[in-house]
Amino acid sequence: MTAWLQLVQITRKDLLIEARSGEALLVTTPFGAVALLFVPLAVGTDTPLLREIGPGLYWVVVLLFGLLVTLRHSAVDTPAQIALLRLCGVHPVVRLAGRAVASALLLLAFELLLVPVTVALYDPAPHGWPWLLVVLPLVATGLGLLGTLAGALAQGLDGRTTLGPVLVLPLAVPLLLGATQAPRAAALGHAPWPWLLLMLTVDLIAVLALLLGAPHLEEVA
Amino acid sequence: MTLFGRRLPIVAAVLLAVGLAAGLAAPPDRIQGNLQRLMYVHVPAAWLAYLGFVITFGASVAWWWRRKPGHDRLAAAAAEVGVFFTGLAIVLGSVWGKPVWGVWWTWDPRLVTTALMFFVYLGYLALRRATLDPQVRARRAAVFGVVAFVQVPIVHMSVLWWRSLHQPPTVLRPGDPTIDHSMLAALLMNLLAFTVVFTVFLRARMRLAAAHDEADATPGPLAGDAVSAPRLEGVTRDG
Repeated sequence: MTAWLQLVQITRKDLLIEARSGEALLVTTPFGAVALLFVPLAVGTDTPLLREIGPGLYWVVVLLFGLLVTLRHSAVDTPAQIALLRLCGVHPVVRLAGRAVASALLLLAFELLLVPVTVALYDPAPHGWPWLLVVLPLVATGLGLLGTLAGALAQGLDGRTTLGPVLVLPLAVPLLLGATQAPRAAALGHAPWPWLLLMLTVDLIAVLALLLGAPHLEEVA
Repeated sequence: MTLFGRRLPIVAAVLLAVGLAAGLAAPPDRIQGNLQRLMYVHVPAAWLAYLGFVITFGASVAWWWRRKPGHDRLAAAAAEVGVFFTGLAIVLGSVWGKPVWGVWWTWDPRLVTTALMFFVYLGYLALRRATLDPQVRARRAAVFGVVAFVQVPIVHMSVLWWRSLHQPPTVLRPGDPTIDHSMLAALLMNLLAFTVVFTVFLRARMRLAAAHDEADATPGPLAGDAVSAPRLEGVTRDG
């Protein structure tokens, strides 16, 4: 089996497990929606203010809760599973890349499900929304890669779900900046390319980190 | 062998005293007055934070290459000292910012990226603390030590890449430093003093880590070893 087919099979396996457990889309997504509902209760139901801060809050929730999606329980391989994959000739990079692709797809679904919730609760101005078609996959890819890396670093630790976000969130800040600023720049009539380039750079650095780090992290497991 | 050594702490204390005197003897800033003297600690603290993280990066790469426990200990010690100096730089910058900028904190790119660097390396230390097995800990920390280093050039270049309230580099820049030479001399004196303090901390932390590893490797008495099974008076083992 080629590395490409292995990657597809691992992605498929992760998505099947998620479809059965529903941890990301049936538990974490409603949790994120509840967070979006709570903020107006805390800061006050001032409609113009909520319209202004809505997109930013959406991205904060995507980043914070998206990491829970990448660190979901079903994305944990036991030492026996890892040993089996190794015996089957699956390279560590392929194993983690497959997981990252599955996480990125789940994150994209997570982002798309929270969009109507944000629109309903905050009624943000629709300027620059077509750029979301580029921004959403870029954030999902970057966060999926970084989350996979954090999951591999914290593999087998008791505080995995708390340690993972601590490791990744500071590194994911350029994604937050790019995601919030690209549509805003477009709305003001500026080209949002620098922000898209920033997110793409983070994605590429995360790919590089995964390629270089995965073989070393496999020995950990 | 003591934790801090004998001579180096004395050298550090003398240099700190000289640095303090140089900082007080240097002329006050024309606009900021005496407040600017905080720079003589703030700037060395920031530079030594960079140095700590550069050492962590280099030692992490060296660990990948050679797999020597000493490299892992050096990476960990440098990260701890780097986090300390980053915290010091942030606190001193905040103390300076309140009277000059009017706020303890502002959303300036240099401040935000420095705070992020602080949290990135706190995460590095948390990762180390959470992993008990020394070999596994070294491997994971080496991977994250390399990834985390991305943040360091971003912090340094932030004042050039974005519009910033924080002043651009005055010494670490191409060409002649844009600082009065007597102030520069005091700054360099303090940099030397704090570098020696950095070395004292780094060496002490490495010695502590080595002692810790040695204690872990030596089998000691187990909890409960001294407890013997209860026996009723007058009852022999045979019953």
